[in-house]
Amino acid sequence: MESHSAMTGESRPPARPLGIVVVGTGFIADEHIGALLGRRDADLVGVVDTHAGRAAAAARRNGGVRFTTDLAEALSWPGVDACIVCTPNGSHHALALAVADAGKHLLIEKPLTITVPEAVEVADAFAAAGTVLMAAHTHRFYDYGRAVKTAIDAGEVGRPEVVRLAILGDWIWPDWRAWVLDPKASGGHALHNGVHLLDLATWWLGARPESVYARGRKQTAAELDIHDYLEMVVRYSDGSVAVCEMSRGHRTGGVGLRDVMVLGSEGLLTLPWNGDGSPLLSERGFSQVPAPGGNGFAVQLAAWLDTISGQEPAMPVHDAVLAVAMGVAAERSMASRRPVLLSELGIPDRHAPSPGAPALDEGRTA
Amino acid sequence: MTGHAPATRPLRVLLAGFSGLGTQDHQTDMYLPAFSAHPGFEVAAVAGDEPQARSAAERLGVPLVADVATAVGDVDADVVSVCVRPEERAETAVRALENGRHVLVDKPAATGVPEAAAIAAAASAAGRVCLPAHHQRFAPGVRAARAAVGGGRVGLPWNIQTDFLVGAGDPVPEGELVNFAVYPVDIVLAVTGQPVHRVHALTAGAPGPSGAERTAVLMLDHAHGVTSTIVVGRGADGIAAPGTVFHRHRISGSAGVLVVDAAGPVLTVRGAAGARALPFDSGSVPALLDELHGAITEGRPADPDIKDALAVARVVAAARTSLRTGLPVDIAAQPQPGSTPAAPTPTA
Repeated sequence: MESHSAMTGESRPPARPLGIVVVGTGFIADEHIGALLGRRDADLVGVVDTHAGRAAAAARRNGGVRFTTDLAEALSWPGVDACIVCTPNGSHHALALAVADAGKHLLIEKPLTITVPEAVEVADAFAAAGTVLMAAHTHRFYDYGRAVKTAIDAGEVGRPEVVRLAILGDWIWPDWRAWVLDPKASGGHALHNGVHLLDLATWWLGARPESVYARGRKQTAAELDIHDYLEMVVRYSDGSVAVCEMSRGHRTGGVGLRDVMVLGSEGLLTLPWNGDGSPLLSERGFSQVPAPGGNGFAVQLAAWLDTISGQEPAMPVHDAVLAVAMGVAAERSMASRRPVLLSELGIPDRHAPSPGAPALDEGRTA
Repeated sequence: MTGHAPATRPLRVLLAGFSGLGTQDHQTDMYLPAFSAHPGFEVAAVAGDEPQARSAAERLGVPLVADVATAVGDVDADVVSVCVRPEERAETAVRALENGRHVLVDKPAATGVPEAAAIAAAASAAGRVCLPAHHQRFAPGVRAARAAVGGGRVGLPWNIQTDFLVGAGDPVPEGELVNFAVYPVDIVLAVTGQPVHRVHALTAGAPGPSGAERTAVLMLDHAHGVTSTIVVGRGADGIAAPGTVFHRHRISGSAGVLVVDAAGPVLTVRGAAGARALPFDSGSVPALLDELHGAITEGRPADPDIKDALAVARVVAAARTSLRTGLPVDIAAQPQPGSTPAAPTPTA
């Protein structure tokens, strides 16, 4: 099998680069395209956006590739093997089914979908098509995410018992018209950004989540329809607990606050609140100079390409379905003000393997 | 020691009891040395049937009274340092207050809400100082945080995240909710000033040898929509410098975020033996006695007051109910000390 792995350092291009179409040309698409341009084994064939002007501009920015407003047309272009979908969350279900139906591989922005039945339907469609589906839970591919996972798996803290994970920052969204602020389009903040933390903490712990108790806050404005601050506390079947906070309601003067703590039976792991940045104290106040590190999008892309070439998935489909379920549980918990059991969400057994078990059916040709 | 005029004579202290949860004896470990070192106090007598009571009396050269109840009535003392067995604390503290003594009461002040309410009512009726030994709120970082939040430095606070983690040590058989959790709950209440209306609690990881919780996560809803989450309990030895606690708070407000390392201040020394942390503040127990002395000599309530211990007891009781039911628990509006406290009820 070919290896595309940036994680292992091996890279040998296949005979023909994988042809990729990027669907949705917002800011996150640029991150994926940037990663793509760094590879010899995958090529950007074209872009799709419902807005013709945006599609044309993105095509022009990226060397004059093809563009269209019609996904079906893009899927019929010659040399297209796979798609990267970067559209609003609520559109993921239909777009993913169209990609599966066309027999193409898919890397799709998180969340996989905004409801559990939709997630299951998409997972089943890719399993039936025998093509690769991966949800872009990018934090798994950031340096810190991998370092914490490696430390836990190496037994550095013994048996992990409590994870604290907080990603806190200022308001970064546009105005009232932003789709993220519309729960119908985004699924709510727990589905939009909360799934990053829910997936990362669950991956770190390697445990099966049982319930989610979430409290949200509309901090920036009482009139918000989503919670710009989320606290999601997950209880796992092995007795461990994760406290996950995601915020765009903090006022930190532009400094991102990240908190990682893992309390284990034999130790305590922490990451400084300012991560790997260097504080800059200047006449303009406090800021941070981030340290250069790995490009999470590039590592993620490599992992997806590795999966397409037959390696074990770094982000299994079951985990993407589970992340959606945890996000839905968090939203329901905020509405009901009670813990919500994952078992109430109707995840079929075929998508709920026991943690740590080998992936049996990851939607790809063996 | 700081910030107030010295009394004309040291206040006379009766050390009553040398017991606690599990193997705890804070009288020997904390209060006796701190009272002995404090210029505003002198130890007048010792009471208790524990072996440590006899050795303390001999060491200090003061009278020993085996029966605490007798001593509390008869000994000429201004202050009683109550460190009897937890289930006897309310009775001893109430008797001391009724005899006109001021009281320092070990943590936990009482085993339950009715007991804490009884002490609070007695203190109120007697007009005497009753200070629960919530000494961690005197950690320098916590004192600074209270002042900063009270001064509007973070705007309107809306969330606190707190970690209070201690080395493996000797888990108390009753569980760490009634033991260590008292400190961070007290601090969160002191920093926000907002009473708790709702409590959800989870245990985390393996229980202690008695089967009771070693580590817990408390999720509190306070007045004015303030929320807090506290991770409290025991980890492995070495997670904090010897004699210290992994103790931090992140306070988020409408105007900013205050990140508090309450374990400080420490010097860090690096060498062939690795890195070591050397704490250098004067200690939270001496500060607790400063407050006791100040409240008594100035004729004002102590900060913390026994009402704060009652508020903590309500949270702990609700947390225990939550652990049992798996559901959040609403705490009814707080009755005044002396009235019958409402029992916490699981949320329907």
